[in-house]
Amino acid sequence: MQLAWSPEDEAFRVELIEFLDAHTPEQMHTGYDFQDVHDEHDLVPPWLRQWQATLFDHGWMVPGYPPELGGRNCSPVQTLIYLETLASRRLLRSGHFPGYAIVAPSLLEFGNEAQKQLVPAAIRGDTIWCIGMSEPDAGSDLAGLQTRAELRDDHFVVNGQKVWTSYAMIAQKCFCYVRTDPTLPKHKGISLLILDVDSPGIDIRPLRHINGTAGFAEVFFTDVVVPRENLVGGLNGGWAITQGSLAHERAGLWVEGVARFEQTVEGLVQLARAQGRADDPIVRRKIAEGYELAASLRALGYKGFASFAQGSSAPEHSYMKMAMSEASKAAFELGMEIAGPLAPVTDPRLSAATSRFVYGFFMSFANTIAGGSSEIQRNIIAQRVLGLPRA
Amino acid sequence: MDFSLTPDQELLRETARKVLERECPPALVRAHIDDAAAYAPLWRHLSEFTPLGAGPATDLCLFLAETGYAAAPGPFLATALFAALTGGDGNAIGTVALVDDPTMRFVLEKDRVERIAFVTPGPGLAVVDADAVTARFVATVDFSRRLFEVEVPQLDARPLAPAEYAHWRDRAHACMAAEMVGTARRIFDMSLSYAKARKQFDVPIGSFQAIQHKLADMSLALERATAAVQYAAMTVDAGDRDRTRAGHVAKAAAGEAARRILKDGIQIHGGIGYTWEHDLHLFLRRATADEYLLGTRGWHLDQLAAALIDG
Repeated sequence: MQLAWSPEDEAFRVELIEFLDAHTPEQMHTGYDFQDVHDEHDLVPPWLRQWQATLFDHGWMVPGYPPELGGRNCSPVQTLIYLETLASRRLLRSGHFPGYAIVAPSLLEFGNEAQKQLVPAAIRGDTIWCIGMSEPDAGSDLAGLQTRAELRDDHFVVNGQKVWTSYAMIAQKCFCYVRTDPTLPKHKGISLLILDVDSPGIDIRPLRHINGTAGFAEVFFTDVVVPRENLVGGLNGGWAITQGSLAHERAGLWVEGVARFEQTVEGLVQLARAQGRADDPIVRRKIAEGYELAASLRALGYKGFASFAQGSSAPEHSYMKMAMSEASKAAFELGMEIAGPLAPVTDPRLSAATSRFVYGFFMSFANTIAGGSSEIQRNIIAQRVLGLPRA
Repeated sequence: MDFSLTPDQELLRETARKVLERECPPALVRAHIDDAAAYAPLWRHLSEFTPLGAGPATDLCLFLAETGYAAAPGPFLATALFAALTGGDGNAIGTVALVDDPTMRFVLEKDRVERIAFVTPGPGLAVVDADAVTARFVATVDFSRRLFEVEVPQLDARPLAPAEYAHWRDRAHACMAAEMVGTARRIFDMSLSYAKARKQFDVPIGSFQAIQHKLADMSLALERATAAVQYAAMTVDAGDRDRTRAGHVAKAAAGEAARRILKDGIQIHGGIGYTWEHDLHLFLRRATADEYLLGTRGWHLDQLAAALIDG
């Protein structure tokens, strides 16, 4: 156990910082927050798409990948350094995560040669992807999905509905899980198809969040024709890919999550000072609890990384999503308590210092649901990490 | 930061596990309730490892997690704290007395050590023979440790550099937290095994979501405390500037883990866990009492708040 990385790894950090100093777009530093969009047609602004392409072209988009995939073949430790450096500077890599974070690794693992040709554009962000997973009757019980794809000679015909589909309104392609055999047990009759979003029969209706903006959509499929060669992996082999997709999503997210949570705790300190609550013993203790949680979760994330880098499974990472989403909800609530009468105020004349807490509080409701609810995370920890029997 | 254990550290941990499993079964901890001499056969083995107290905190904390897991009686922790404060090689059996310190009113294992290091306000340091100090045994809920109220003798204290004392405290917080997390892990393991074995309504109680979610939350508290202790030990070894905060985080996280695990652990055991015959209470007692050694969670949070808000 030791604190410092090797000199080569620290040199990697210096090289990255030099690149970021030279290339980071100005807009990134003007309070741009990816989650704070007010126009659903401007979910991913042009400068942010350009930034993703720049990262790709310089081998800084997914540094663990080879140069043709936007990387530089760096080691797992260097990837971690990359993620922590971006997070500490509050930098986004991309305005749309499904392509580089889920589609690319899934196609590299399960796709055929033709499908792998789609990967560079997915990582560079030239193609925007959405992921068709949840349905009205298949949320936590994802394997219960009902969107039907019937194989007829050389093509599938798709009918059904997806929901909570992030980026559907701006995507070109959809990574869509469908039921190809309703006679098999539910996990065994699912396949993965690649759909062109402009195919006839696809209807996209934006869904507004509780904050009033539309980041996701309902997607309806009516007799959508999909060529058979768009099947990823084997027929009825989709479930294994869903498991991989979500693992890819979680593997690196904790670094950013911890950094955001730490930044929220720092914000609480400033707010307590500004609101004259810095001497309140209850406020002080609650802020310290937030710090203690952030620091111990950061340590837990790194501890899990050590197992991961040695090729072992990293049960530590199963805890991170649940713990951070619950913790940040509590931290935003504390911010509102400190803000007092200003907590619910959104009037910009009065709320400049406080609105991020009520806004974050509302956003935090999503984080304990999306990507696997906290309750499902606890089931996973209990059954897969602790080995408890299923009910 | 790299949390991977070196082969030597893996070996140390395995050795500690084997020695303690063999030499410190619950029967020994139970025997120690009425017979203070019951620790002697165990100490013949543990005393070989006291030089760890003078070595890296990372290695020491791995060992302390195992003494905590076994609720081992004896002056191992006391001697480790003594060695770090007095700069010895770890062979002298000692303990530490903090004079007028709100986090450490009593002295560990005074009747089993050769030397006592007194830290006086100032701070100053004086090391005296234990035999020359008058002390009264203080009964606590925990039968595995022995605490004493000591009469502070006339001391010829030398000044102790504040930075040196602060560094020792950081290390002490990590060490105390390491033992405490070890004890919490024992209670957790017992509770998890029980949840898998105990059947009600014809199924293991561990198949019920109410029990699964309790255990998931317990294991989260345990794992983050474990990581916080290892991080604190690394910062102490590196002399890193984050070490004081890391020590507070470690003991505060250990307190949270222990409290959650001991309460939910006995709940999962149900009535059997509330009996004298069951071994669970030996560990519940140790974990409960450890909270009040070297600062409660609340005290450590207050130190963190001062650093964050006033610092």
